[in-house]
Amino acid sequence: MAAIGVRDLRKSYGSNVAVDGISFEVREGECFGLLGPNGAGKTTTLHMLVGALRPDSGEVRIHDEPDPTRPAVRRRIGVAPQSLAIYADLTGEENLAFFARLYGLEGGPLEERIEMALEFSGLASRRKDRVSTYSGGMQRRLNLVCGLMHDPSVILLDEPTVGVDPQSRNLLFDNIEALKRLGRTIIYTTHYMEEAERLCDRVAIVDRGKILALDSVDALRRTHGGPPVRRVVEESPHLEAVFLNLTGRSLRDV
Amino acid sequence: MKAIVAIARKDLRILARDRAGFFWVLGWPFLMALFFGSIMGGGDTQSPMKIALVDRDRSDYSRAFGEQLRKSEALEVVDAPLDSALTLVRRGRLVGYVSLLPGMGQSLGFGDSSTIELGLDPSRRAEAGYLKGLVTQALFQSMQGAFGQGGTGRASVRERIAGLESDSTLAEGRRANLTSFFTNLDRFLSSLDTVNTAGSAAGDSSGAMGANLKVVAVAEQGDGPRSAFEVTFPAGILWALVGVCMSFAISIVHERLTGTYLRLRLAPISRTDILAGKGLAAFLAALFATGLLLAFGATALGVRVSSVPKLAVAVLSAAFCFVGLMMLISTLGRTHQAVAGAGWALLLVMSMTGGGMIPLIAMPPWMQTVSNFSPVKWGILAVEGAIWRGFSWNEMLLPVSILLAVGTLAFLVGARALRRTEA
Repeated sequence: MAAIGVRDLRKSYGSNVAVDGISFEVREGECFGLLGPNGAGKTTTLHMLVGALRPDSGEVRIHDEPDPTRPAVRRRIGVAPQSLAIYADLTGEENLAFFARLYGLEGGPLEERIEMALEFSGLASRRKDRVSTYSGGMQRRLNLVCGLMHDPSVILLDEPTVGVDPQSRNLLFDNIEALKRLGRTIIYTTHYMEEAERLCDRVAIVDRGKILALDSVDALRRTHGGPPVRRVVEESPHLEAVFLNLTGRSLRDV
Repeated sequence: MKAIVAIARKDLRILARDRAGFFWVLGWPFLMALFFGSIMGGGDTQSPMKIALVDRDRSDYSRAFGEQLRKSEALEVVDAPLDSALTLVRRGRLVGYVSLLPGMGQSLGFGDSSTIELGLDPSRRAEAGYLKGLVTQALFQSMQGAFGQGGTGRASVRERIAGLESDSTLAEGRRANLTSFFTNLDRFLSSLDTVNTAGSAAGDSSGAMGANLKVVAVAEQGDGPRSAFEVTFPAGILWALVGVCMSFAISIVHERLTGTYLRLRLAPISRTDILAGKGLAAFLAALFATGLLLAFGATALGVRVSSVPKLAVAVLSAAFCFVGLMMLISTLGRTHQAVAGAGWALLLVMSMTGGGMIPLIAMPPWMQTVSNFSPVKWGILAVEGAIWRGFSWNEMLLPVSILLAVGTLAFLVGARALRRTEA
């Protein structure tokens, strides 16, 4: 059974079409990548998935539930937003406790989850420090674990490695791989190819609100990567080549 | 409910750690209340007690007593007829009045029937006790003056001795007795000159000799502020509410921009819970700031509350109104700068026209009409109604109803606008 089902999802802001008929399914325990350039519609899709945005049309199902805004469904979803959704004037521990309390955790179970989250994110030694004193990487790790306090089965990670140093990025990768081993279903949005290659079982390449291709990394290489490049040692094209072939090479910031 | 409390606790903790925010909520209102209160004349706690002297006896002795009373550095004495003195005490302009009744010169202020009347507000117990002491002290000093060297009393005794000798109508035995009595009295009064009574405690004298003071309770009418702080502290309270309103409006924008609001929205709680948590935090912060201002005003600056239940209603409704305005202001822009700019602009105009800067009682009539459109005016009016205006519950109804209505409307419009930004 699919943990997440999305069918013909659409969202526009005036004349700007942000998401244009996206459909996909994510299997239980799968890490599914949404790969696309800035403004491709990845974050808008995630926000509709969790009910933070109302789609113009289309359908979202989480564990076969059609309404992601229902509290019972929300208890099964964890999110690490792209922007740092943590309180800089609170300590790491206070942030974790606050977000856990929103899910009804209290007393012993709350303390237990806080300890686990601090160990998981490598922040135990800085638990009493205000978040404003944390490095960018530490804040990213805290941003991730704040979304895991209620032990969700579906985890949505929106570009979780933006602006972090390689060490923190590796720890975040380790964290995500640990979550995969625990059987969590993950949707991971990124525009870094190597992250998708390393972490995702399947990848949907998104641009201008549409899915251009969706398959495993190897299958995408074979289908859209073009002919193999002949060198001294023959090597399959990287996923980056797939991405650039599909989305074009021009800068989107201009 | 637990989620609402958790959100409120989190917001209050953040506010307490935000020095700038804390200053606007507490520091600024204190400065406003103290600064304007001081330049407007402040309270009367440090200055001499103002009393009226009503001399209905009009004897030499009562005039001498009045002079003694004026010599006291602890008193500022004004002469007034009884009805004026009563009015001034009722309005809180004077601590009390001292009325010297006919016959006071004969009884010297002692004896079975009272010839000195003190008109005092029963609520001003400490000042009343002090005033009684000062009056008794003046009474003893007057008596000493009258019977001391060169006093009118001594001359009177000696005149009496001389009169006895020339009075042919008196029997010899009786003349001898009376002459002996008055001669001994003169000797006794001479001995008083060597006793220094200036340093004697007034209270002790009262207890020993039993000066008979009649105390009349004069309830204040509450139709005027008793000190400038009773005008500036209600305005300070409204500044505190303005500070709370802005701090929390900006915190809502901050949450929307940083993504924490998204995280709140994705939790298994309703939007109403989130807004209620925010509102509860703002409400508690407002009550805390208000309570602290009032406690300081009452204990340090003599601000007196006419009715605690009415003040509670006034403060609760004003806080509710500004929580609603907070919700509306938070939706006036998409950035901190936009909300801060629009919010302060709106609230400053409300404060300027509503009595936050110029006291309502000092406003010209046209400005008082304009002030009707400012919730700040109704907040100040409600608080002043409970502090010094002496409002009845009927009179409280109008400002309180307006505050509750504005708060409800602003909250609903703000919540609706917030929802539209999320669509």
